[in-house]
Amino acid sequence: MNLSKYIFNKKFFPEENLISICGVLASLHCHHFNCGLLKALEELNGIDGLGLFIKTTEEVYLQAFSDYLKQHRELKTIADKLQAASEMYYAFGFGELDLSGLNEQGGIAKAISSYYVTAWLAKYGRRHSPVCYFTCGFIAGILESIFNKPKGHYRVKEVECLMTGSDFCKFKVEEI
Amino acid sequence: MAVDAKKIISVYSAGELPRDKKGIIGVFGIYAAYNYNEFFYKIVSRTLTQASKEEAERLESQLYKAVLDCAYYTFHGASASMLWREIVSPMIETPEDEIYALVAFTNVFGIGYLKVIELVPGEKLVTRVHNAYDPGRYLEEYGPQPRGRCYMFRACTASYMDLVYGAPFPKGIGTFKCKEVKCRSMGDKYCEFIATKNLK
Repeated sequence: MNLSKYIFNKKFFPEENLISICGVLASLHCHHFNCGLLKALEELNGIDGLGLFIKTTEEVYLQAFSDYLKQHRELKTIADKLQAASEMYYAFGFGELDLSGLNEQGGIAKAISSYYVTAWLAKYGRRHSPVCYFTCGFIAGILESIFNKPKGHYRVKEVECLMTGSDFCKFKVEEI
Repeated sequence: MAVDAKKIISVYSAGELPRDKKGIIGVFGIYAAYNYNEFFYKIVSRTLTQASKEEAERLESQLYKAVLDCAYYTFHGASASMLWREIVSPMIETPEDEIYALVAFTNVFGIGYLKVIELVPGEKLVTRVHNAYDPGRYLEEYGPQPRGRCYMFRACTASYMDLVYGAPFPKGIGTFKCKEVKCRSMGDKYCEFIATKNLK
């Protein structure tokens, strides 16, 4: 992975304890919180907490990656933009995500490592269902940004997951 | 030797965090990831406003517990590390120094600057933050809130007391409870937290 080509500037402001990544405020959180939040949403009654989690991730990364592309107009090809998105995902600590199988109509994305799988195993142990809801929202958001589509244009489903014994996480992407 | 908060912040905010060969950040016995503050604000605020009163209260309780786990284990992992022993331990002469050191360490995660206002050894800790992210966003999007929204700082404040004055790790978690008595989301100028013994 060529980490030198795509820049995700992280700045820390020590007097305020603020971090900005590409000019947007961000923070660092551990697996106890990240998985605790996901589990709490999964267990909500009367509300689709996981759907809300995916939709919000999609919305936030549609905006964030659109802002990033505005700052990096040197990224002109679709392949370059997909690679930049993959490296943003890596830079944040979510693992290695191969987006090269995607195009405007959708396609297949694969992850050979997953923060949420590693984190969930450490916190709660093995489960028998996929756990990479964040990645579903992330892929939808960055694709909508790259192809200039509105929020909600893509549906992303994790069809295989490292959590359930697969060799990688596999995401099927379709236009709605 | 007094606790040098600036030095702690400088040391722990320097450089890149260690990753495994697949890119996962592992440090102080926890797995960490960056994310945008807006991500957490939107998910939690939307869920709280869409859920029933009972479910919203349950979610808030679960979030507090998740952050308490996060803080308790992360701060323990950090204080057991070689870096802490080399840099921070020489500054610590009393349990109260350790509280100040842990608060300083908290001020590298990008969640707003927390400071100690009052510390009664073994009994009470008051902390304050002026620039937490969520309260301002609640005001912008939903107007004044009926109660504080800073579950993260609330749990962090309890965790310092748990680690320093509770039973030895890992049995001390939950020894203290914490209440947010002021919050910018309620119209206050800052957010303030009081941790006291959990007598339940």
